[in-house]
Amino acid sequence: MEQQSDQNQEKETMDMTKMFEMWLKSAMNFWGNMPRMQPDENMMFNFFPKQQKGSSYQAQQTWDRGTKIAGALAAMLSEPENLDAMFKATDTVPEFIMKISRQVWEGYFEAQKNWTERAVRIGKHEKAYCFDDLDQETFQMLREIYEKEFQRYFYIPQIGLTRFYQERANKAVDKYNLFQTSLSEFIYMFYVPMEKSMAVMQEKIKDMLEKGEISDNYKEYYSMWIKILEGHYMKLLQSPEYSQVMAKTIQSLVEYRSARDEMMYDILKNLPIPTNRDMDELYKEFYELKKKVRELSRKMEEQK
Amino acid sequence: MSQTKIPVDLILNRLAESTEEVKEKVQKASEVLLGSLETDISQTPNEIVYQEDRVKVKYYKPEKIKHKIPLLVVYALINRETMLDLQPGRSVIQNFLESGMEVYMIDWGYPKRKDQFVTIDDHVNGYMDNIIDFIRKKHDLAKINLMGICMGGSFCVMYSALHPEKIKNLVTTVTPTNFDTDKGLLHIWMKNTLAEKMGPTYGNMPADIMNLGFLLLNPARLIIDKYVGFFENMDNKKFVENFVRMEKWIFDSPDVPAATFKQFIEDCYKKNLLIQSKLELNGKRVDLKKITMPLLNFYGKYDHLVPPEACNLLTKMVGSQDSEDICLDTGHIGIYVSSKCQKEFAPKISKWLKEREGDEITEAVAKTQPLKKNSVKKYQKKIDAKQ
Repeated sequence: MEQQSDQNQEKETMDMTKMFEMWLKSAMNFWGNMPRMQPDENMMFNFFPKQQKGSSYQAQQTWDRGTKIAGALAAMLSEPENLDAMFKATDTVPEFIMKISRQVWEGYFEAQKNWTERAVRIGKHEKAYCFDDLDQETFQMLREIYEKEFQRYFYIPQIGLTRFYQERANKAVDKYNLFQTSLSEFIYMFYVPMEKSMAVMQEKIKDMLEKGEISDNYKEYYSMWIKILEGHYMKLLQSPEYSQVMAKTIQSLVEYRSARDEMMYDILKNLPIPTNRDMDELYKEFYELKKKVRELSRKMEEQK
Repeated sequence: MSQTKIPVDLILNRLAESTEEVKEKVQKASEVLLGSLETDISQTPNEIVYQEDRVKVKYYKPEKIKHKIPLLVVYALINRETMLDLQPGRSVIQNFLESGMEVYMIDWGYPKRKDQFVTIDDHVNGYMDNIIDFIRKKHDLAKINLMGICMGGSFCVMYSALHPEKIKNLVTTVTPTNFDTDKGLLHIWMKNTLAEKMGPTYGNMPADIMNLGFLLLNPARLIIDKYVGFFENMDNKKFVENFVRMEKWIFDSPDVPAATFKQFIEDCYKKNLLIQSKLELNGKRVDLKKITMPLLNFYGKYDHLVPPEACNLLTKMVGSQDSEDICLDTGHIGIYVSSKCQKEFAPKISKWLKEREGDEITEAVAKTQPLKKNSVKKYQKKIDAKQ
């Protein structure tokens, strides 16, 4: 039973292949004969002899060449082996797209899982003046996903005349992405004390309400809040986590800036303007010359 | 269970009153802000007597000269020396002039990209040495008084150790010399980051990034509370003028030459070489024991930039027999601008310098020639013999 259905399927595939062959041949015949079927304008109007030059002749020649190439392609494709190879190649395209999409979706789902867990934590009580549970894992995870899945595409070896320029441009884009991640984390760190201080204020106001000590002076609440906020920031800024994030941000900024300057230099050197690099070389020479002159002047003064 | 009493009626009344107050305040504030405001800083008359590259020297002459030895003030490379002459009534320079002291002050200028290679050695043994020689020649003196502020004080310490024969008395104020402390945020940050790489990347260390860094030292007070205070007092003309003057000074920041910044972070903040007498400038070791002249060392108890722990080791490490630490109840800038410190700070320095001027005016070689080391040694022997 199974064998029969397999045979039927094979027969169906062969029929379809034959049909495709016939269609290709007829298409080739049709398009191949098209130029010959086109009426000769000169004969129609019988005014001028047939021109071997001119734009219309060139256009006709181009059309003839195009149809011949199409005909040759169609003839090649009509061979069964070539047809098989073409179908196999087109099969791989969806596979490739699926693989890329899978990677993107997996990364997204992992990030979403983390965000959901964080959303659950928001509902719980926030500990004041405590920065041990900072959600740096999210940024760490984003960085890891980027480094694992996307970064390597920027370092694919480049080929051709413009390989060095392309390498530098890719590096600049990569460093920019890394810098943006670090900067986001850095900015987020400064948001955390605001959140925590608000939570502490809410608790304090709740206590004051229960004790009936609520004041009508908004300045008191502001002073209270700013003091709490200051305390939170002091704790944060002295923490090793903050130093690490700041160090990472500075490092990524420096790397991005250097990579960007390299790329800009490639662009600017084609323009008739001096670049920073050119000027820096001059400045260095001036500096060394001035230093030498000062030294020599001093020696001369001492010898007088 | 008793019901919580929330005085809603009082709160609403209060709100209504505040709205009325706010309206009046805004009206008055607009009159103040749109009117004429005296916000100029550094108004004490002075003369530019020396210039080398971007560096200038301002000379302040008192009405009556009562001090025999002039004072050279060396400010830091961060922010501007105009803070010492912020406004009438809060001017360290004017206080010095009132005591009859001639004051020279270095204006480091605004470094450009071409200054990125200028090192600490260029500042100390280049610009400062030339300026001190100039002043000595002008006044026919072997030695002058030297005063440094913050990083400028560090430069003065380095200079005094390398050229003790040219300095009569040394005054250091809020000067970091010991960087091995975790009491200040800057010390923690500089040790744990690669901030020194930013200078070469940008050409010079950008002032805007440094300003941002200083604001981040206490964001709650410096970014939020400060401006809330301003809005609350916007209708007070005097307050607005003082505030704007301070704003003008605090954000008037030059870039720092990349080579200087890099060495300062690496050799001072990270390796702490200065207090250990291991710092080298162009191969010459800065030995603090060679600081044998009298030393007066000021610092602020509540200084969050240069904590007392960064300043109070200096007097123990120098070779001077006459040294004194003074800790004022103020912060980094309060020493110079607070009205309370104005009465303590500058007068104390004037008095201290006057007491150490020596018995007579110092002698020197002919005006046309710079003082040579040999003649200084001979002269020093003469003075020592007289004493």
